[in-house]
Amino acid sequence: MEKPTTAETSVWDVVLSSMAKVNWSIWIVIGLSLVAVVVTGVVAGPSILVSAIVTGGMWALMAVGLSLVFGVMNIPNFAHGEFFMIGAFIAYFTFSPLNNYLKDNPNRFLSLIAPLLPILVAALAGLPLGVVVEKAVFYPLRRRTREQWIMNSFLLTVGLSFVIINGVLLLWGPNYRGIPRYWDLEPVSIGSVSMAVDRIAVFLIAIVIIAAFWFFLRRTRTGRAIRAVAQDETGALMVGIDLNRIHTMTMALSSALAAMAGASLLFMFQAYPTVGLKPLYFAWYVVILVGLGNVAGATAGGFIVALLQTLTSYFIGVAWEDVVPTAVMILILLFKPTGLFGSEVKGVWEQ
Amino acid sequence: MLEVKGLDSGYGFLQVLWDVSLNVSEGEFVALLGPNGAGKTTTLKTIAGLLRSRAGEVKFQGKPIRNLPAHKISQMGISFVSESLNLFTGMSVRENLLLGAYTVRDRRKQLDSLEFVFHLFPRLKERASQLAGTLSGGERKMLAIARGMMSDPVLLLVDEPSLGLAPKLVLAVFDALETLRQRGVTILLVEQNVNTTLHITDRAYVLEQGRIVLEGKSAALLKNEHVRNAYLGL
Repeated sequence: MEKPTTAETSVWDVVLSSMAKVNWSIWIVIGLSLVAVVVTGVVAGPSILVSAIVTGGMWALMAVGLSLVFGVMNIPNFAHGEFFMIGAFIAYFTFSPLNNYLKDNPNRFLSLIAPLLPILVAALAGLPLGVVVEKAVFYPLRRRTREQWIMNSFLLTVGLSFVIINGVLLLWGPNYRGIPRYWDLEPVSIGSVSMAVDRIAVFLIAIVIIAAFWFFLRRTRTGRAIRAVAQDETGALMVGIDLNRIHTMTMALSSALAAMAGASLLFMFQAYPTVGLKPLYFAWYVVILVGLGNVAGATAGGFIVALLQTLTSYFIGVAWEDVVPTAVMILILLFKPTGLFGSEVKGVWEQ
Repeated sequence: MLEVKGLDSGYGFLQVLWDVSLNVSEGEFVALLGPNGAGKTTTLKTIAGLLRSRAGEVKFQGKPIRNLPAHKISQMGISFVSESLNLFTGMSVRENLLLGAYTVRDRRKQLDSLEFVFHLFPRLKERASQLAGTLSGGERKMLAIARGMMSDPVLLLVDEPSLGLAPKLVLAVFDALETLRQRGVTILLVEQNVNTTLHITDRAYVLEQGRIVLEGKSAALLKNEHVRNAYLGL
């Protein structure tokens, strides 16, 4: 790929050169996805697509957090689903009393903004949760040894997952806690498609949060520092970045995103101790598919995986919902082990 | 400004530096020379806080800095330009430079530094939006030095900037260092290119097998018999 010689490279040049670098397999997947979208829309009806888009947004949120933690801290987090679960519980415990109050004292305005509160609270609660986990679990490991880091940190997250799931089981019991819906409004009709307000809201939330996060990473000093730590830790130290602070912040953001996803999907998934396992697996599908450490790709990947899941569920059967995405992921890894979009995480395997 | 006394350092159980002592006064341009594997990079990394030392003293402007975390040392005004550059390859030249000024909170100062660095290295200005990973070897070295300058450091530690560069670029790099020295930056330079280095620096230390074996004014070392035999091939 030729380097531009004298003139300043324009944005278009950068886009074109990165497009050219991108592997044929990505174009195949994107092409297939678009075909699938069109075919599904025609054959099965657009409401299936709506379903895919809604879950896609949330998988994207989960995958971004997971990818971030792996890219910045080199931790394959298998407890990520538990943050989702805690977010769901917090949303439930926040929303239920609110809902009961509103039943007795109907208030149009409050009913409209009430669902936003549990989502916000879950996100805010996710932050200190991530801080505590990082400081209590991973910081001590980092201080002790960097050897076998990936395996060690992975095992820690698995243990953490057990502890959190059983802790919640002990605390709140195994029962499913759910809500029928967040917003008590009529479904919205666009063309022939009827969409529940909850689903639209969830999609909008996902888009807004992802956009805000993208802006944070790209444009702010701290976001840049996070990206720097992901690319070269020594370099980051050399320019004066406090690694511990960045690690803690990254984990906090990651768990906040997951908790927010869990809270947003309360109407779909309900809250119970093991609810986080499915989101965890799908987030991992996305991250592995797209390439570890790639945050931008995680967003696109979220939608692609959700599409795959929804299509499988509709055309083949709900029971196969997990099987087909897994099989596809295995196939892709066989041909392109670094994931579809490759990534800059070149140092990870060497560590 | 920089005082190192009796420094013992290394990697894990491997001790590389034995009782290393050196000084750099304000405004000086000092070289640390020696063969491959002598421990020059280890010395710089230890001063910069990237390596833990076991014994000895490192003082910067009178304050002890030995075994302080690397980011704190960077915040104190010591910039380290490593041999492996440690650039952020997935980010543009401009972003790398902005990160170099991470410890500088004043936006105005950051932009001034950027302007200075672009003036010093016009090639970098041309490639400001290009990804650091796509630059040529010489351009990367320039970027690494430029990034080290962005925080307006008081002391610059540079590790083998001329390594692997074509002669024309080597001159460019040394020119840049000379310009910085004229701006009042104190520089400790590790190099294998002994001849050129002794011509532009004030003083030099020679490190062999982890110990300082020679020190003195660069002009005098050029005439030193051991130096001439071992390093200048004369």
